[in-house]
Amino acid sequence: MTSLSKDPTLLSRRHFMALAGGIAGMATLSALGVPSGWAANTAKVDVDTVNRKEHTSDVLVIGGGMAGLFATVKAHDAGSKVILVSKGRLGSSGQTPFAKGIFTYDAATAPISLDAFVDKVSRSAMGTNNPVYTRQMAEHSRARVDELRQWGFFDSPLYNTCFSKPIKERNIPVLERIVITHLIKENGHIAGAAGFSMDSEKIQIFRAKSVILCTGAGGFKPNGFPICDLTHDGTIMAYTIGAKVTGKEWNDGHPGQATNAAACFDGWHGMFERKPDTVGVEVHHDLGVDLNYIAYVNGGPVAMGPPGSGNTTSKGGPLTPAEFARPPGGPPPGGGKAPGNGGPPSGKGGGPPGMAGIPVGGSSAGMSIHKSEGLVPINDRCASNIPGLYAAGDALGSYMAGAIYTQIGSSLAGSAVQGAVAGTAAADYCKAVDFQDVSTAKLDDIHQEILAPLQRKAGYSPAWVTQTLQGIMIPNFVLYIKKEKLLQAALAYVEELRDHHMPMLRAADFHELRLAHETANMIISAEMKLKASIMRKESRCSHYRLDYPEMDTTNWQAWINIYKGADGSMQFEKQPFAAWPA
Amino acid sequence: MTIKLISGCIGCGTCVASCPTDVLRLDPKTKKAIIKYPADCQICHLCRMYCPVDAITITPDKSIPVIVSWG
Amino acid sequence: MMHSQTNRRGLLPAILLFTGLPIFIYATGDFPRRTLLKESISLLTIIGFCMMLAQFFLTRSGNSLLLGSNMAKVIKIHKIIGYVFVCIILVHPFLIVLPRYFEAGLDPAACLITILRTYSNSGILIGIFAWCLMSILLVTAIFRKKIPLPYKTWVQFHKWLSIACMIFACWHALDLGRHTDRVLSAYIILLAFCGILLPLKNSKSPTVLQSEISRPGKGEISRDSF
Ligand SMILES: Cc1cc2nc3c(=O)[nH]c(=O)nc-3n(C[C@H](O)[C@H](O)[C@H](O)COP(=O)(O)OP(=O)(O)OC[C@H]3O[C@@H](n4cnc5c(N)ncnc54)[C@H](O)[C@@H]3O)c2cc1C
Ligand code: SF4
Ligand code: SF4
Repeated sequence: MTSLSKDPTLLSRRHFMALAGGIAGMATLSALGVPSGWAANTAKVDVDTVNRKEHTSDVLVIGGGMAGLFATVKAHDAGSKVILVSKGRLGSSGQTPFAKGIFTYDAATAPISLDAFVDKVSRSAMGTNNPVYTRQMAEHSRARVDELRQWGFFDSPLYNTCFSKPIKERNIPVLERIVITHLIKENGHIAGAAGFSMDSEKIQIFRAKSVILCTGAGGFKPNGFPICDLTHDGTIMAYTIGAKVTGKEWNDGHPGQATNAAACFDGWHGMFERKPDTVGVEVHHDLGVDLNYIAYVNGGPVAMGPPGSGNTTSKGGPLTPAEFARPPGGPPPGGGKAPGNGGPPSGKGGGPPGMAGIPVGGSSAGMSIHKSEGLVPINDRCASNIPGLYAAGDALGSYMAGAIYTQIGSSLAGSAVQGAVAGTAAADYCKAVDFQDVSTAKLDDIHQEILAPLQRKAGYSPAWVTQTLQGIMIPNFVLYIKKEKLLQAALAYVEELRDHHMPMLRAADFHELRLAHETANMIISAEMKLKASIMRKESRCSHYRLDYPEMDTTNWQAWINIYKGADGSMQFEKQPFAAWPA
Repeated sequence: MTIKLISGCIGCGTCVASCPTDVLRLDPKTKKAIIKYPADCQICHLCRMYCPVDAITITPDKSIPVIVSWG
Repeated sequence: MMHSQTNRRGLLPAILLFTGLPIFIYATGDFPRRTLLKESISLLTIIGFCMMLAQFFLTRSGNSLLLGSNMAKVIKIHKIIGYVFVCIILVHPFLIVLPRYFEAGLDPAACLITILRTYSNSGILIGIFAWCLMSILLVTAIFRKKIPLPYKTWVQFHKWLSIACMIFACWHALDLGRHTDRVLSAYIILLAFCGILLPLKNSKSPTVLQSEISRPGKGEISRDSF
């Protein structure tokens, strides 16, 4: 972790102003009834009695969503001994339970060729996509969809049973409700992972030759999008041990509903109760920050036009390529086909929030476009820059769809395809390597780090720090309609949280322990988001800078990679579009 | 109150496992599901949909203030 | 006829006590309302359960309380109620998962299996036990004539089995029932207490039973019509 000086004399005037504003902000928060922050900690757990349990496998898959399912099955089928560990239940955690439309490309019936499809996605993505991953997703989608069909995926809106089928048939151990907090690296190679179980209240150590992060994406526990269990844990753990991560400047622009903004289920109008279905080729330029721009310029409430029509409703704002612009006042998307993250299947009722009633922004705050954020792949097999560490699905910054939603239903398909690719690649990798030894001293350190919030005599409650972070990051004028001054101001707050609050997060039980670790990850994510947003001095796809509203094709045909420097500070580099990291 | 009520619970534990945000736990004494951490409920209804006896009632409102991007 | 008059006068309070009151408690209770099918099933089960308790008052020993002494009527009602509502109670585990059939989510059979495999607390086990006892009760009632037991012994068997069954059934209902809030629980406990205590009191003087059976003329029945 970066440790900046806490000497108050070093506070610049800008920092000071920002902090003063923050105090006013916090006063408002407490007026709203938010639990007070700092207090003594009365832990209900005796930390000294917490045991350690160890597990060994060739491949460790972390995450029980669509990507985790395929990574597990394919690594097993390629000859590895696999363990699947997840924070939540298989098929009932992360974003997978809520996705209802899966893209499948069938060469025989598709209206356009594979090449034409990849080109179309690239045009919509304004060059931000990685065509290798776009093509791979389409090419393998059909095979994954067929397997899913065999397992019964399309027969129920609840995915636990069908996901369990191939896992049970193969007798693969599944460990649920275990929060992974650390990746373990030895001699430059991945050596395993560590975390704790919420039910048995034990430290869990996993030794593995290879680890596949299928931990999904994340956000700031926003209201209206069911991602409150996802806080970019995989990304931050990997960043901590030296992996490169990307995509933090982009924004998912899904709106929520103004009334009962926190009610995801209601906001999605019963879509969660629908059986999934397949979708064919349908490329858009959707769900960036058009609506946020309209709200910024005109004030709320905003009327929801068809996605992509935002720039025609209000002058200026995010640019939609002409080919993908939709006429203003066209048919409401909820009726015919609902756009989603790639959207649910058409015409079956339901639909994403904002389709009925008044939409409001920030429902998915903290999340980028699916597949645009996460670990930087060094090749087309989902490998990271740390030997043995792979990532797939929303945890991999593959830029499969680009920095805007392009092909409907490709998010789910992409997680399935990449899971399978990573599973096979990790199994291949295992054949040539041995287990890394991990010293007991190192494990003891990790043990202590995991339990630290339980041991603090006093500190800040994760719930309060989270709400404070939300108050800093979620406003439209910080996260979505960006400008240098406010990004810097927000960064001052976030750095304060990072330096002074993160080391003092307290937990009274294992539930709060989870919240404490999640809160720390959110703070680092926020720092990444702000710094990457400040760095990208242009507007493109879902990143919009009010002070740099144009696309800059001279300087910014590049992705931003983030990594930890030798001194522990957060470093940034540009990686040209369509190139692999050096 | 987000997740509001559990009535007719048989204590199978399915909802505890199915809740992504760890809101529910089995009461150690009665061995029935309790709403232990309601503030963390994301109103996704997975627990309700997975409950074999449909014991869970959820309302769309949230008792703690909700932060959105504009208002 | 005198008897039928007494019956009719007693019938109304009986219906009110055993169906009206539980319906009232259900209707005024603070329960979340669900679909018509689910609510109907709940109501049917509640009434079925209360009718099982009512059975204790519709016997020779408990008769005079409500329906006067027209034994033929009492026994007839006892039999009809018994067969109808025992069946409802026996199928209630299936009724609970039935609505899932009309929803896109879980498979009803899978739900039932989850239910039957839940032993973390005693509620389901007790329910299964009560369900078995109730099945035996039903079968031995249907085939009473085929059972080589003297009538008197059968009555004793029937009585004790009912008592055992209902004790477990009440326990199960109080523990797991969706609608057994404080009021309904109090009602059930009260009815069970009276209903079970009454035959217990009478069982201390088997002669009463004997003498009644030996006077078939009075109740206008013979033993065989039992
Ligand atoms: C409401 C909604 C609707 C959507 N609709 C569609 C759609 O119609 N079509 C489409 O293609 N896509 C859709 N998406 C997107 C799609 O759901 C995701 O892109 C996809 O499911 C991601 O799958 P994944 O396996 O990569 O990650 P996830 O499904 O997010 O899985 C992440 C897993 O990692 C686990 N995990 C996280 N952190 C840890 C940790 N620290 N320790 C252990 N385990 C951890 C979680 O418990 C979870 O099991 C939708 C998303 C949402 C939220
Ligand atoms: S609605 Fe979702 S978040 Fe809330 S308790 Fe149920 S499963 Fe958990
Ligand atoms: S799933 Fe339903 S029955 Fe099972 S523990 Fe949860 S509330 Fe109780």
